[in-house]
Amino acid sequence: MARLELRGISKTFGPNRVLSGVDLTVGPGEIRGLAGQNGSGKSTLIKILTGVYAPDPGARISVDGTALGTPVRWQAAHAAGVSVVHQDLGLLDHLTVAENICVGGFPTTRMGRIDRSACDRISATTLSRLGVDLDPATYVGELSAAQRAEVAIARALRDHAPGQGLMILDESTRALRGSDLDRVHGMLRQMVAGGSSVIMISHSLHELASLSDCVTVLRDGRVVADLDAAAGLPEHEIARAMLGDSVTRFDRAGKQAADERPRIVVQGMAGQHARDITFSIGAGEIVGITGVPGSGYEEIPALVAGGARTTAGMLHVDNANVDLARFSVSRAMRSGVVLVPERRDRDGLALELTVQDNVTLPRLRRLRRSFFLSRTWRAIEGRRAIDEHGIRPANPHALARQLSGGNQQKVLLAKWMAMRPKLLVLHEPTQAVDVGARQDILHKIADITQDGTGVLIVSSEADDLTAICDRVLIYQADGGLTPGDSDDADTLLEQVFTTPAPHMTGQ
Amino acid sequence: MAAKQATPSPTDIGTGPNAYQRTSRRPGWMSPGQLLSRYALILVWVLLAVGYAVRMPDTFATTSTFQAIFGSQSALLILALAALATLVAGEFDLSFASVMGLAATIVPVLTTLHGVPSWLSCLIAMGVAALCGMINAFFVVVLDVPSLVVTLGSASFFLGLSELVGSATSIAISDPKLTDLMVHRLFGLPLSFYYGVALSLVFAYVLTWTPLGRHIAFVGANRDVARLAGVNVRAVRAGSYVAASMLAGLAGIVIVASVGGFDPVAGSVYLLPSIAAVFLGTAVVHPGQFNPIGTLIGVYFLATGVIGLQLLGYTGWVQNAFYGAGLVLAVSVAALVRRRVGVG
Repeated sequence: MARLELRGISKTFGPNRVLSGVDLTVGPGEIRGLAGQNGSGKSTLIKILTGVYAPDPGARISVDGTALGTPVRWQAAHAAGVSVVHQDLGLLDHLTVAENICVGGFPTTRMGRIDRSACDRISATTLSRLGVDLDPATYVGELSAAQRAEVAIARALRDHAPGQGLMILDESTRALRGSDLDRVHGMLRQMVAGGSSVIMISHSLHELASLSDCVTVLRDGRVVADLDAAAGLPEHEIARAMLGDSVTRFDRAGKQAADERPRIVVQGMAGQHARDITFSIGAGEIVGITGVPGSGYEEIPALVAGGARTTAGMLHVDNANVDLARFSVSRAMRSGVVLVPERRDRDGLALELTVQDNVTLPRLRRLRRSFFLSRTWRAIEGRRAIDEHGIRPANPHALARQLSGGNQQKVLLAKWMAMRPKLLVLHEPTQAVDVGARQDILHKIADITQDGTGVLIVSSEADDLTAICDRVLIYQADGGLTPGDSDDADTLLEQVFTTPAPHMTGQ
Repeated sequence: MAAKQATPSPTDIGTGPNAYQRTSRRPGWMSPGQLLSRYALILVWVLLAVGYAVRMPDTFATTSTFQAIFGSQSALLILALAALATLVAGEFDLSFASVMGLAATIVPVLTTLHGVPSWLSCLIAMGVAALCGMINAFFVVVLDVPSLVVTLGSASFFLGLSELVGSATSIAISDPKLTDLMVHRLFGLPLSFYYGVALSLVFAYVLTWTPLGRHIAFVGANRDVARLAGVNVRAVRAGSYVAASMLAGLAGIVIVASVGGFDPVAGSVYLLPSIAAVFLGTAVVHPGQFNPIGTLIGVYFLATGVIGLQLLGYTGWVQNAFYGAGLVLAVSVAALVRRRVGVG
C-alpha cells in the first residue's frame, strides 16, 4: 500500500491554473525528489498537502490507504503521519534542543507544566533514531548548521512510529554544504531504510539525483516525468525535464586571456575573515573566486565593493587609487564598482516596491533631480530592463515580492548593469535560481563585458564559474588566492577541496 | 553578512561524527559581557537610585518614597502584562488601555448607581473586558484585518463606550471591603503590589514551564512553523487578545478600587508607560525576548526615574518626556551592548 497517494490535484487562482491533475504516489521507504523550476507548482502542491490551500474539486489525497478530506485539515494529516521540515528550519535559538523538538507535543506533568525530563527523553530517543549524538539540553543557538538541520528533522520525526510516516523536506538542506550535507543525507537514508518515506524538494539537482529513489518533475503545474534515480540519474536529465527542451550547457564564446592593462587592481586586501586578497581584472574580463565554505572568501565581494571594512590593502580602478580608509558602498559606486549581493531578498531588493522602482533606484541620485522624477523616464527604464533581461511577468508595476527567485535576480542585474559600472561584483548570482533563469543570467553577465566592464564572480557554483569565467581563483583558508582550473567543474572542485591544510587561526 | 558569522576553521569540516561537541546547558558562569548585557538595566536602575539618594538624601532616600515607587504602580504593572500578552504571541494591541478604562468605569457605575454588589460588578467588568478581547480577536484572527487598524479603532470605540456608560462624569465608588482588598498594607506596601508581582510570576511560569508558553513563543516567532508542528495557532493568537483584555480589565478594577474612581479619558495616559515597560523589559533577564520579569523590572525602573525627577521639582511634562526618552534610550543601549558583546 502506498504511503501517500495524490490523485487529480488541481489548483486555480483566478485565471491562472497553477496545478492541473497532478498524480503522485510515494511508497513506504522511498525518498521522492520533487523538481521543477520556480513557479512550476511544487510549493502549491505542498501547500495543498499541508492545508494552506484548498485544491479544486475532484482531488483525492490518502495516507496509508486512508483518505484525508479536502481541503486537508493539518491536524488530521499530522495525525496520519505527515510532517514537514520547514524551509528555514523554524528553530528558536533561545530554547533548548528538547524544547524545539517537542513543540506541538510537549509531555506534561499532572500539574500541567512541561515535563522536562520526559521531554529530554523523547528528544534523546528521536535523535538516537536518527543516529545523532546531541545533548537535548543544549541551546539551539549554540549549534552548527548541520546540527540545526538535525534538530528540525528530529522534530518532524518525533511523532512518526518507527517505519511509518512521511516527511516533507522543503528546501531544508539549502544551508548545508560538503560533509554536513553528506551527514544529513546519510541520516535520511537510515531513516527510510526503516520504512519511513520522504518527499524532498531541492534546487540542487545533484542532491536530488544522489539521494532520491525517484525524481518527479513538475513543469507548468503538470507532472512531466517520473525519473528513476535508483540506478544513477544524470543531473542533466532532470534539468532537461524541468526545462522542457534540451539544455545546451552554457559556454561563453571566446574566453580571453588576461589583459595586460588591468582596469581593476586589488593588492593585499584584508578584512575580518579574508586576508591577502590580490588580483587584477582587465577590461571585459570575467574573474571567478571560490573557496571552501566558511574559509572567509564569502567576505570578498563586500570588501571590494565597500560593504565591509577593510583592514589592509589597496584598490585601483582605472589607475586611480581608491581611498580604502574612507571606503563605503556609495564611494565604491562613485568609483565605478557595484555589488550584486547574495541574499537578494534581504540585501538586494525592496520586495514591496515595483520592478520599475527597484531598477531605477540607484540612478535616482545621478539624475540630480531632487524634487521631481519623470514618470516617463522611470517607465521607459522599467520597460527596458524587462525587455533586455527577459523579466517575467513583463509588468513594470509588479511587486518584486511577486517574482520568482530567478526573475528577482534578473531585476537585480538590470538595476546594477544599468549603472554602466567599471567593475561588477556578483556574489552567488545563481543561488536558488532555476535552470532557465540561470542561463539567462549567465548570458547577461557575458554581454556586459562587451563594453569593457570587468566582472568579479564570487560563487560556490563550480559549474557557473567554469562556464563563464576567463580565470578562476581559489581562496586559500590561510589567506591568499591561487589560480584554479577555469574549464572543468570537477577539476576545479577537486582543487578547492584539496587545498593544503590551513594554519589554525588564533580567533 | 559574512562578517557576522564566526568562521569555523576548515579543519573542523569532515572529521566525521566525532566532530560534534556537546555543549552544556546553563553554564555555571556567564562572561562579564553576558552578565552586563543581561542585567545592565538593573545596574542603571541602581545607579539612578543611588544618584537620587545622594542628591536628595532627605526626600528620596526615605520609606515614603520607597512606598510611593512600589505602592503606586500595580495597575500599570498589570496593564503592562496585558501589553506583553499580545506582544509575546507576535500580535499587537493598542486598545488595552481603553479596556482598562471601560472596566474602571463599569464597576463604580454598577455599584454606586445601580446598587449591584461590588463583587458582581467586578465580575461583569471582567466579562465585558473578555468580550472586548474577543471582538479584537474576531477582526484580527478570523477576518485577518491588520491588528494596528483593528485595535486603534477598537481603542477609540471602547473609550466611547466608557464615556457612554459613565455619562462622561467620574463616579466614585465607596466600598471599604473592595478598597481594603487593594490598599491594605502588608510589610508597608499595599496588597495590590503583591498581586502585580504574583501575576508577573505566574505569567513567567506559564511562558517558561508550560506547553502553552512554549507554543506562544513559536507562534510569536513563526506562525507557519508553529502550525506545522501541530500548534493551534489561531487559538493562541485569539487567546492572546482575550488574555490581554482580561488583564486590562483587572488593571481597571485594581485602579478603581485603589483610587475610588476613574475618568476613562485618563486611560490613554497609561498606554505609553506600559508599552515602554514591556520593551524596557526586553533588555533584561532574557535579552531580546519579551519577558514578564523584565516587564516587572521595567515598570519599577520607570517609576523610580519619574518619582525622583518629581522630587527634584520637575513636574507635569517630565513624566511624558521621561517615559518616551527612557524607552528609546534604554533599548538602544541594550542593543549596543548586545552587539558589542556578540550575544543574542
